[in-house]
Amino acid sequence: MSKPPRYFWIPLILSLILVPAGFWYVGWSKSGEGAGLYSRQWVPDAMFAYWNPKDFYKPVETITGKFEGEECVACHTAVTPGIVKDWQASHHSRAEKKVYCSNCHGNDHQALHMPTPDICATCHATQHDQFEDEKRFGFPSHALAMERALDAKHFADKPKAEVTACLQCHSVASKCDSCHTRHRFSAAEARRPEACITCHSGPPHPDDETYFHSKHGQLYLAQGDQWDWSKPLRKGNYPAPTCAYCHMQDGKHQVADKSIWKFGIQKVNPLSSGNEIKRKQWIKLCSDCHEPEMAAKNLTALDQERKRAWDKLFQAESVLKELRSDKLFYPSARQRPPYPGDAPDKLWPREAIGFFEGQSSAFYNVSPIERDYFEMWYFSNLGAYKGAAHGDASFVAKGHQAMDQSLKSINKQAEALRNLGKVQPTNIWLNGEYTDYNREHN
Amino acid sequence: MRRLLLLMLLVLLSPAIHGSGNPPPKTAIGTDKECIQCHPKQFKQWQASAHAKKQPVAGCLACHGSLHGEAASRSRHDRACVACHGGVEGAVAHSYASSKHGVLMRLEESGYDWTKPLASANYRAPGCAYCHLHQGNHDVSAGVRSDAMHKEQPVPDVMRVVCRDCHAPRYTDRLFDNSNALLEIGRKKSREAEALFQAVPELGREDQAAIQQQFQKMHQHLQNVRLGAGHQSPDYQWWHGQPALDGDLLRIRGMIDEYRRKKQALPR
Repeated sequence: MSKPPRYFWIPLILSLILVPAGFWYVGWSKSGEGAGLYSRQWVPDAMFAYWNPKDFYKPVETITGKFEGEECVACHTAVTPGIVKDWQASHHSRAEKKVYCSNCHGNDHQALHMPTPDICATCHATQHDQFEDEKRFGFPSHALAMERALDAKHFADKPKAEVTACLQCHSVASKCDSCHTRHRFSAAEARRPEACITCHSGPPHPDDETYFHSKHGQLYLAQGDQWDWSKPLRKGNYPAPTCAYCHMQDGKHQVADKSIWKFGIQKVNPLSSGNEIKRKQWIKLCSDCHEPEMAAKNLTALDQERKRAWDKLFQAESVLKELRSDKLFYPSARQRPPYPGDAPDKLWPREAIGFFEGQSSAFYNVSPIERDYFEMWYFSNLGAYKGAAHGDASFVAKGHQAMDQSLKSINKQAEALRNLGKVQPTNIWLNGEYTDYNREHN
Repeated sequence: MRRLLLLMLLVLLSPAIHGSGNPPPKTAIGTDKECIQCHPKQFKQWQASAHAKKQPVAGCLACHGSLHGEAASRSRHDRACVACHGGVEGAVAHSYASSKHGVLMRLEESGYDWTKPLASANYRAPGCAYCHLHQGNHDVSAGVRSDAMHKEQPVPDVMRVVCRDCHAPRYTDRLFDNSNALLEIGRKKSREAEALFQAVPELGREDQAAIQQQFQKMHQHLQNVRLGAGHQSPDYQWWHGQPALDGDLLRIRGMIDEYRRKKQALPR
């Protein structure tokens, strides 16, 4: 065997150094007081303890001693009667082998913990496995919600009291009571559409509004109170589908596996081999009540709506990208505050345009034209998508009208920027009460 | 024997004699004046509240209706409040309806016994009246009140007490601290925009009108943050609140900046 050539050694040695160094760097940056990729750049708000207990919860140390089973119930009947009453009404208290406070919170009163999904998994392993399995399908999913929130640039950048608002919903990855509220943990509650609307509501994900506008939702509103919610979400048990009927079919705790359009935030090929499998799953599901042909047609109509939406979005994106290459953005990324800890952003300030450049973080400290595109993409487009997917024609019309308006406004502003050309900057973008506070408090 | 009969009659009549001397009315009540005769305490509390001081006045019948038998249970329901406070789709009602309290209320209200007083032992989820008329206090401005969050200072302690009926004090204290901080951040955005606007007094009428319009939106979005914090709706704290304020701020800045740049570009 001949000796390997000299250039063989250079990449080998470099990779032997760089790969472990990379791992070390990621590990180091995750080991700060915060959590996630930018953990060294921020300190948590006190409320994070409750939304992300795994990383931040610390027990109250007022009471000493170890307590178990009925001992906890005896005291807490007086201290927190509502909680005990909830528990008494739950399956946990009526099961053959009762699940007591101490089974989930621990028995050392000085070291109590907030139950995280892995604690629920002690008994509910099937559901937990299904939930964990979502990670295979990427984001959007419940299981990755916390991780992705913590790693978002705007999350690291903004004051932590402000982004606590984000964690309330993204906590769905960290605790099961987002859908099965404590301390009743009812399956019947989570089967009903209202269980989802605390988070699935508002401009980027009007699932609340679009579902209740649809015929499915109208049927639910008219008759839902009379349905037997103790029954599993299966063919024949319910006259109309709820969120969970379709997205967590048969009670499967997996919301990501059938997702074709990924919340509408990126352009996908709906007819890829992987998506063909998902389409068949959807058609089979809709066939619980409808003719398969009708389901297939509805899916095609959704694809067509998406095509129309992406045609508009790409037009807007190209207008923005042309402005960027002509250096006509004003204020440009150099003329506004960078994300504080983001080294590449400081070295190479660049405006983020579109999904792959991370525009989901670029909704503040940007120029009005970029904000217009953000709203077009994140609000109008996503609203139209939800309308099309849930069968609410009014949201499709509203979303597309708003996108047309934005496109017009973006074109108009681009023309104004071109006419104005490269004018001396005014420097009013760099400072201000909130802008300064945001630089200093992470 | 006659004495015994008299005694029996007295015992039978005692519920009516007890109290103000009048039996509770069985027919429909016509005016608030009739209520005040027997319920002076509630009347006094109400007099101190915004319901009495602001126009239009919301009197007894507005919430309790005119049937005495169901006056209390009727007013405990959220629907007694919603019609005047912006309707079902308004921000006040929707921020509550989309909170976990509102969700539980919607799903469970038909199973509650509404004849019972509003106490944590009787209801799993709190409705409007549970917090805003805490322990039956008819002064809606006394405890949990919306205007407390308008002021540029932390919410008063009387508000904090209410949540402890059901939640741990450490949890609710942190929630209140966080809400205070969240609101202050919103106000910072609003003040930043205000300062930018103040710095260009020479703006033309048209530009001023456009900016004022954006300020109106900002005001609504700040109100959404308040409602989101007060009613614990993440969606109102965030999407209807903070990022919306970010958009208002940068648009106001953009308009002022455009004006300045145009002025610069003019030949001198």
